[in-house]
Amino acid sequence: MSHHPVIHLEDICKTFSLAGQPVEVLKGISLQIDPGEFIALLGTSGSGKSTLMHILGLLDRPTTGRYNLAGQDVSQLPDERLSELRNSMVGFIFQSFYLIPYVSARENVMLPGLYSSTPGRVLKARAEELLTLVGLADRMDFKPGQLSGGQQQRVAIARALVNDPQVLLADEPTGQLDSKTSGEILDLLSDIHRQGRTVILVTHDLATANYAGRKIFLDDGRIKNS
Amino acid sequence: MVASKTVDLVRLSWRILHMALTAVWAHRLRSCFVILGVALGIASLTIIVAAVDGAERKAYEIVDSFGPDAVFILGGDIRNRAVGQRTNTLSYADAEVLRQSLPGAYRVVPMRAQHNLPVRFENNKMQVSAIVGATAGYADVWNWPLSEGRDFSEEDIQRGAKVCLIGDTPANELFGDRSPVGRTIYIEKLPVQVIGRLSYRGFSGGGGSIDERIILPITTLTQRFNLDRKYFRALRVKFTSTENMDFHVENLTSLLRKQHNLAEGQPDDFSILTADEILGFLSMFKGGLLLFLGITAAVAIVVGGFVLANLFYLSVDERKSEIGLKKALGAKNSAILLQVLAEAVILTLIGSLFGMAIGMGMAQLLERLGILEILFSWKVFTYSTLSSVAIGILFGLRPARKAAAMVPIEVLKG
Ligand SMILES: Nc1ncnc2c1ncn2[C@@H]1O[C@H](COP(=O)(O)OP(=O)(O)OP(=O)(O)O)[C@@H](O)[C@H]1O
Ligand SMILES: [Mg+2]
Repeated sequence: MSHHPVIHLEDICKTFSLAGQPVEVLKGISLQIDPGEFIALLGTSGSGKSTLMHILGLLDRPTTGRYNLAGQDVSQLPDERLSELRNSMVGFIFQSFYLIPYVSARENVMLPGLYSSTPGRVLKARAEELLTLVGLADRMDFKPGQLSGGQQQRVAIARALVNDPQVLLADEPTGQLDSKTSGEILDLLSDIHRQGRTVILVTHDLATANYAGRKIFLDDGRIKNS
Repeated sequence: MVASKTVDLVRLSWRILHMALTAVWAHRLRSCFVILGVALGIASLTIIVAAVDGAERKAYEIVDSFGPDAVFILGGDIRNRAVGQRTNTLSYADAEVLRQSLPGAYRVVPMRAQHNLPVRFENNKMQVSAIVGATAGYADVWNWPLSEGRDFSEEDIQRGAKVCLIGDTPANELFGDRSPVGRTIYIEKLPVQVIGRLSYRGFSGGGGSIDERIILPITTLTQRFNLDRKYFRALRVKFTSTENMDFHVENLTSLLRKQHNLAEGQPDDFSILTADEILGFLSMFKGGLLLFLGITAAVAIVVGGFVLANLFYLSVDERKSEIGLKKALGAKNSAILLQVLAEAVILTLIGSLFGMAIGMGMAQLLERLGILEILFSWKVFTYSTLSSVAIGILFGLRPARKAAAMVPIEVLKG
């Protein structure tokens, strides 16, 4: 059980069609990620990192290939099931935070939980606990507009954790932050990883990638051996 | 298992409703426009339902006071009046003949009236629009109960007694809270004793309140106020049963034609009105009203709906990253669809409340100005609520489906 990979990709291809022309973005990706790993996904712009991340996060389907998430083949699941799995298995952290501007930090953190069956009181307590964990105990009632970029990303991290997902996906989470704030956010992600979660971090910055335990290089839709 | 599924569903619905309320509040400007658009439509609907109900109530009141067992005979042919035709064709002799030889008729009441005479009690004075002459048993003949006192007796009529029944309006105006019964009022210079008070009837019968009247014995009226003693304008005949009214009318017509010596082919020189005819006329009026106002309301509501649809389209576009985010975080299409629909219905419901308030205010104004007769009922509330929910769902559906169909990776870039 413990040695089953949490993520197992077999020969994943993704082809977009652009103005009638097929564009092959992922060209046969095979990959295993064990539970509790901290992975950095590196590559130049346009190499397909985000595309791969979307497939890993069940936001998109591969054109061909097989994807096993926590032992379950998710390649053929209907949309409704994918929504449920995204909700319970995956936590997302985006480059531009994507917080709802008109509700408080606490309510932003609670959002994924609202679509789960977690009772409201439990959810609220958990959101507050996580906000405390990311260092925003005194900012729970603030709206995103009243928070700095780093603080907003902390809220987003707390939100990604609220449903206790096995896998945390972060697509250039420090892309909009200065280096000091970036360091703090990456330290936070390291802490979260140490608590036993699988973290996959997309970046094109090697210093950032050094926080991870394993680096995967993507080059023109293929994994490059390091 | 089933039970916990239900609990989950209820919880999710509740949360979606809460999110919808939050969003409605957060986008106040949009909300105001939608509420306003819907409110105008619902306001016109409210006026229409209230006016149609009011017209219907009025129709039945008129018919009620007219009596379904009665007919009304007017001098002259009101339907196609021949040039130079006399209108004072009904005489006491006619009334007597009808009283004696019309089968089924149990009351034949000649009607005479004087208009706008000054009436005084102590120092209170007023113009009373109708001073009506009547025979014994006025209350019974007109289905108009007395609230106090007694009705005319045969003796009052024969003697030409100086007694009267007083309508609610002059009773209030001349006596205030005091009882008028037993007091003496002056009609012009004639002192008459009030013997009874008519109950409040409270609808206008075309110009002036129906309650603004004083009733005298017909003999007193003709003798003291110099009215033509031979002819009168109208005659009321009451039958013992409402069955066979057609047959009664036929009998009445041939009897009167014979009495007036009309030859075959000569037109009637009188007109007979029945309750059915009055109802028919009123329902025609109501139909016209319904059509006119109905089209107005439908247009207003559709306009409100389009305002909603367009603003929601814009809003869904503006909020696409929020929607995409929610879907990325695990919201199903149905949850997104429901939230947008909930936002729409919340706004249309608020709009309908405002609309009802505006509509009732306007309707009351129209009633006060004497333009419409209004009746508010639960019907107004039910129609407004149901149609506002329908607008919300109908016009919110396209924007809601657009929102539900958004693809997270396309709206979440970067
Ligand atoms: N929906 C789409 N339709 C067509 N082409 C697409 C689509 N999405 C991505 N692509 C193409 O796929 C390639 C990889 O895109 P992707 O966003 O995965 O790159 P990336 O490695 O994340 O780059 P960056 O570091 O700039 O974020 C790009 O060439 C892009 O133009
Ligand atoms: Mg990218």
